[in-house]
Amino acid sequence: MTDKSKEKSTKEWKPKIIAFLCNWCSYAGADLAGVSRIQYPPNIRVVRVPCTGRINPFFIIKSLTSGWDGILVSGCHPGDCHYISGNYVARRRFAILRDLMIFLGIEPERLNFTWVSAAEGERFAKVVRKTVENVKSVGPNKIFNKEW
Amino acid sequence: MVRKIIDDIEKSIREIAKKLLEEGKVDLIIGYTKGSIPLRSGPCFITDASQTDMLVWNQSCDLNLAKYLAKNDDRKIGIISKGCVGRAIVHLIVEKQLNKENITIIGIPCEGVLNRAKIMIEIGDKEITEANIEDNKIIIKGKDFDKTLPLQDSINQLCITCHYKIPPISDIIIGDKKPEKPPKDDFKDLNEIESKSSNDKMEYFKKELNRCIRCYACREACPMCYCTLCFVDQNKPVWFGKSADISDNFIFHMIRAFHVAGRCVSCGACSSVCPMGIDLNFITRKLEKIVKERFDFETGINLETPPPMGAYKFDDKQEFMMEED
Amino acid sequence: MIQKMISKDAISNLIKELQKEVKVFGPVKEEGGVLFKEIKDAKEICLDYSNSKIPPKNVLFPMIDILFSYEKEGKGVKIIENPPYEKTVILGIRPCDSMGFSLFKNFFSFGKYKDPNVLNRLKNITLIGMGCLEPRTSCFCTSVNGGPFNKESVDILITEFKDDYYLESSTDKGEALIKKIKSLTEADKGDLAKIEKLQKDIESAIPVIEGLDSIHTKLDGLFDHPMWKMESQGCLGCGTCTYLCPTCHCFDVLDENKQDGSGRRIRIWDTCQFPLFTLETSGHNPRTTKLPRVRQRIYHKFNYYPKNYNIIGCVGCGRCIINCPVNSDIRNIFTSVENISSKTEV
Repeated sequence: MTDKSKEKSTKEWKPKIIAFLCNWCSYAGADLAGVSRIQYPPNIRVVRVPCTGRINPFFIIKSLTSGWDGILVSGCHPGDCHYISGNYVARRRFAILRDLMIFLGIEPERLNFTWVSAAEGERFAKVVRKTVENVKSVGPNKIFNKEW
Repeated sequence: MVRKIIDDIEKSIREIAKKLLEEGKVDLIIGYTKGSIPLRSGPCFITDASQTDMLVWNQSCDLNLAKYLAKNDDRKIGIISKGCVGRAIVHLIVEKQLNKENITIIGIPCEGVLNRAKIMIEIGDKEITEANIEDNKIIIKGKDFDKTLPLQDSINQLCITCHYKIPPISDIIIGDKKPEKPPKDDFKDLNEIESKSSNDKMEYFKKELNRCIRCYACREACPMCYCTLCFVDQNKPVWFGKSADISDNFIFHMIRAFHVAGRCVSCGACSSVCPMGIDLNFITRKLEKIVKERFDFETGINLETPPPMGAYKFDDKQEFMMEED
Repeated sequence: MIQKMISKDAISNLIKELQKEVKVFGPVKEEGGVLFKEIKDAKEICLDYSNSKIPPKNVLFPMIDILFSYEKEGKGVKIIENPPYEKTVILGIRPCDSMGFSLFKNFFSFGKYKDPNVLNRLKNITLIGMGCLEPRTSCFCTSVNGGPFNKESVDILITEFKDDYYLESSTDKGEALIKKIKSLTEADKGDLAKIEKLQKDIESAIPVIEGLDSIHTKLDGLFDHPMWKMESQGCLGCGTCTYLCPTCHCFDVLDENKQDGSGRRIRIWDTCQFPLFTLETSGHNPRTTKLPRVRQRIYHKFNYYPKNYNIIGCVGCGRCIINCPVNSDIRNIFTSVENISSKTEV
């Protein structure tokens, strides 16, 4: 175990970002970016959710404790939610969670929230680029490392 | 606060409790009683008018009695409520956990409770054998010391910034003060922490939470923590660790804070009951600030407004959204 | 039995000498109270204290105890055993807390399965106790077969007298250790008699709780008595009394895993006061409300322990009284039991 971790630290750090995308808008937008061959950084791993309202704040916190360097949550624009009000609910949750996490010392650049619609392929790529830039600026996630 | 006013309130509490029990208006009175050690008090459950002399009121009454109201209790209960206790009861009614008809809120004006952890730091590790709270000072005696502390310095920080000293909604009010509209709260006390860098903030909180032993006294003392299965005890799936490691402690307190956002009444019971003297007041104050500034919401002041996490507005502030350019 | 002394100012010499061969744990002043920690710098130790917040049982039975760890090796796993436990001295432990150690030894060695971690540590720990010159008003060690200068469960007992510490060995281990320490000097014989009198005076000044020595028989008939309703009404159901108790030893076993396939099995403190403690896999829970749990704690300490092991499961340190968030005082329960049984006797 000690050899593996030594190896990791000598290689250049590449941020690992988990992206929670709502099925109807943002995931479709990401699909469009792919189909249109728009290049964007490979650091994100996508988790598809039916709506951002499904996102339990535990997902975000568990990601951080598991070692993910950054979070991206993306949903439908206000007024366009496939389930009418899911994105509003998510917006409130995320607002409180983000304020609290920043207060406790987690860097705001790790938590990214945005609206991307199904037609915004290019914008999705921009969003990913910005997220990777944000996370790179704060370095690897060492907040919840357990002393083993 | 003037000693005489507190003694008068205590007398009124006993009279009203006696009257309510004798007239059969309540089956049970929940209040505070004298502790078995100096500067302490405990909860008191009285069913008979002859027991009302057990009730006390002073600055050591730091528990939130709303905790003892159960969901499916048919009994008629009278509860001695300082401001935060009354607000907690109102909020629990809003969350449909309590039945308003069965509860008589006996509102009393509170000027704050003691911060025992602070007093113990002043005294050192010595045992307190006697303590007397006078008008503006506390006289604390031990085997070989006699110390006088100014009362204001020993009051819980949350009580100093509290704007609801009397419950906004109560059935009976003791004393002639009426609940008034509070002045604007500028949350100045949080400025020092909020101006630190992320690293410094994290270091500060990790240092405080390092000594947490996960006894869950904070969770059990909070009237808002009424889940039958707490998130830390979930095992399908296991979300977060139960051990007393600092990373697990940090997560537990962060998530518990998130779960009481918009529901917390800043009673400070979580800090008062902590055996390790951890100051959770900063987190409570921050929650108050978040819901006030984002949603203009204060917990437990009326029965109509839905809690912030149970509602949404089309034009909620979204300044935290990512700017792409 | 050997008796020696060392001046209070020279105690850091004693610690430095010990540190050459063993790890030294002692009381250290921290923000939450006095805690038992490893002493790195001899000046850290704080021997002028009433009692620690968390009892020194955390040296013997840590809050997070690693049972074993593992990591991936090819297609299988490699088990990594714990490193051998280094010889340790706990300096400044109170006699009540060291009685708790005896109870731990009893519990973890009883029956067919002996706990390797705790018993191994006990073998390698030497206890240098510190007698109590100023027992607290919440202390009742003399009512539970203990005392402020009780030597039974320590290897060496220190008594403070004027500006010196007087050391007295109580076991062969203690005697061997005293002989080895060079910083000690011969005890002043005149003082020894005065110290003995001081110890007796302090011990007899602690108020004795009536009837506590026979409480286990009295509890036999009170299991269904309505008194438990009143005693459990205020209880919050947190773990404070049990976690801060020098004799409480319940634990939970968890597995923790990392993303890279390595992991460990740990043992953490658990308490009978949590509702999940007795939750069975079927979903049945024999203790769903606070009343049976509060009652269980008293019966475990004062009825089951004496019946099963002939020891009282309480050392009278008073931590549960001082730290209980709702000031639920165990002495009230003693009084209730005494009152009820004296009424029925009459």
